[in-house]
Amino acid sequence: MDFSFSSEEQKLLEDVRAFLKSEATPELLSETHELGFIYGGKEGRKFIKKFAANGWLTPNWPEEFGGLGTASTVSFAIKEEMALAGVPLIFVAAHMAGPTIIHFGSEEMKKEWLLPIARGEVEFCLGYTEPQAGSDLSAISIRAVDKGDHFLLNGQKTFNTHAHVADYHWLGTLTDPEAKRYQGMSIMIVDLKSPGITIRPLITMAGWQTNEVFYDDVTVPKKNLVGDPNMGFYYLMHALDFERMFPLAAYRRIFDQIVGYAKDTVINGQSLSKQPLVRQKLAQITIELEANKHLYYRLAHMLDSGQVPNYQASMQKLFATEVAQHITNTGMEILGLFGQLKKGSKWAVLGGLMEHHYRSSVVETIYAGTSEIQRNIIALRGLELPRK
Amino acid sequence: MDYDLNEEQNMLKESAHKFLANECPGDFVREMAEDKKGFTDDIWQKMTEVGWLGLLIPEEYGGSGMDFLFLAILLSEMGAFCLPGPFFSTAVLGGLTLLETADKAQKEEILPDLAAGNRIMTLAWIEQDGTYNHQGVKVVAETQADNYVLSGTKIFVPDAHVADTIICVAREKGSTTGVDLLLVDAKSPGVSITLLDTMAGDKQCEVVFDGVEIPKGNLLGGPNQGWPVLKRILQMSGVAKCAEMIGGAQKVTDMAIDYVKIRTQFGRPVGAFQAVQHHCANMLTYSDTIKYMTYSTAWRIAAGLPFEKEASMCKAWVSDSYRRLVALGHQVFGGIGFMEEHDLQLYFKRAKAAEQMFGDADFHREMVAQKMGL
Repeated sequence: MDFSFSSEEQKLLEDVRAFLKSEATPELLSETHELGFIYGGKEGRKFIKKFAANGWLTPNWPEEFGGLGTASTVSFAIKEEMALAGVPLIFVAAHMAGPTIIHFGSEEMKKEWLLPIARGEVEFCLGYTEPQAGSDLSAISIRAVDKGDHFLLNGQKTFNTHAHVADYHWLGTLTDPEAKRYQGMSIMIVDLKSPGITIRPLITMAGWQTNEVFYDDVTVPKKNLVGDPNMGFYYLMHALDFERMFPLAAYRRIFDQIVGYAKDTVINGQSLSKQPLVRQKLAQITIELEANKHLYYRLAHMLDSGQVPNYQASMQKLFATEVAQHITNTGMEILGLFGQLKKGSKWAVLGGLMEHHYRSSVVETIYAGTSEIQRNIIALRGLELPRK
Repeated sequence: MDYDLNEEQNMLKESAHKFLANECPGDFVREMAEDKKGFTDDIWQKMTEVGWLGLLIPEEYGGSGMDFLFLAILLSEMGAFCLPGPFFSTAVLGGLTLLETADKAQKEEILPDLAAGNRIMTLAWIEQDGTYNHQGVKVVAETQADNYVLSGTKIFVPDAHVADTIICVAREKGSTTGVDLLLVDAKSPGVSITLLDTMAGDKQCEVVFDGVEIPKGNLLGGPNQGWPVLKRILQMSGVAKCAEMIGGAQKVTDMAIDYVKIRTQFGRPVGAFQAVQHHCANMLTYSDTIKYMTYSTAWRIAAGLPFEKEASMCKAWVSDSYRRLVALGHQVFGGIGFMEEHDLQLYFKRAKAAEQMFGDADFHREMVAQKMGL
């Protein structure tokens, strides 16, 4: 066992920190806050290309695909650093689609997509969920009909975050409606500017935009099929295991601010942070963050040692997102009545960020598989409990 | 980073598992809980032969000089089997304290005995107010010629009833700032030991010192210098206790998973019900987090890195999580788990005892708060 970064890894992370310090400008932070992610905006695109030029978007990829050939540990640590700096890096292209292409894509597909992805030039958006296919992704019905040299797509997706800012859709489609469950789905890459695609905004209670995406006779070239036809569900489960690696540092960032608030706020001549109950709460969060850190880096270690995380990824997603909500609720408790004041309001504290985090954290235990789905996976895959 | 045990560590784990599966079945644990002595010479002898008593002790003193991570691995297997007896008191409370404080002559005198299983030790710290705080130490060591004269009462002293040597935390008369650590021969005139009747049937004692004369050479470390080292011992012992707890947690999880696969109700295994599956998933989540919290802290101690904050985070998290894990175990076992003849009760009782020993979660969260600069 060894729970430390190597000295080379530490050096690389120091470089990343230094870069973030100079490049995470107020304009970028503000745009990132507005959009919810460092994704698709003008400042974000500029930043990401510069960042990716160091190989940091995909450090653990082989050099031929635009990576640095580092351990996954480094990639995980960079995600933490980014989130801690206020520019959370959750890239569908680099971190979900890319690894799937590396594992299952044809040589031609690797050539076409991996380098632009590693350079931060193209951005993808996930296209999984449909109105009748939420937790049960095998129920998707968007139809892709084989027309010889292309597919013709008709149907609807929902809750596709980033569809309005990304370049391509990483789309789960139904290619064989007659097949048994799980065996008729294919993954394809679709240019979001294709004729026949309509994007309708859905505004979340966090104020961020997600989307419904309608496909009406959309043509997709055959070469955009990922891997083999009708294997999509398995690829998707594989990609989901990458999505379920949750760097909690965005919440660590607000937690640090809550700690600062508790230290600086004096009530009746005493700092909030001197109250035993407040101390207990803040210490508890620190402890949960530490426990999460281990679940998180365990995943990196598994990847680096040739193991495939499955229930472990679910466990980390489950744990981290519940800690996230614990942090936001604890923050609301410690800020008391002031916690509800929005950005720009008279009397707002911590820039009104607290209520926003409190609202936005609601979705953490839902997207990418609810906590209940994660527990099912842990029980069925991890503990091999009976299905019936 | 490496989250797996290496080959040598795995070997220790497997051999310990095999040993304890043979020597320490549930019936033995129950019998020893009722037994006044609480262990047998036979098992102690065998544990000595496989080198466990000398695990932490440097080779020059007759041990094998392994590091704290190996100790944690061994303790986790002991926890999995609820091993009774004074191993923890002797090897951790006695051995670690000596390694941290004893001078060369004291080490030469005592450590080879410990490694050879010829001396049982413990640490007497807690008094009437039941805390690990500085102010709680009121037992007095009065200087008289070449002796200290020790007076006062210690409670919750593990395994004192079988100890040869008790390390007593005392305060020199008139001192408010420091404490002394004194080696006391348990057979000294004026020492009286009473077994306390505890929930877990572990052997915790009251030790009364009534004018006990102790040669000055029995002081460990400098006079009034005991507190800082005692704090380190508390943190290390807490992590060592966590190691026992993670073994117990793993065992309870395994037992529960096995059970829900075979127990049928409503025509199917209860493990097929989502409510039960989610309890089991939560048990595994607790089990995995406490394992890494404990091993990473043990690794820090072994690597010579600062560990005070990590040790407190660890003890707080493991204390709470192990209790919750066992509670979930009770839910999935249902009525049978409430029966004395079922092993689950052994873990339930030990989980609470271990939670309270060396500072509970509230105590350690406060330590973490201090380390956070709150």
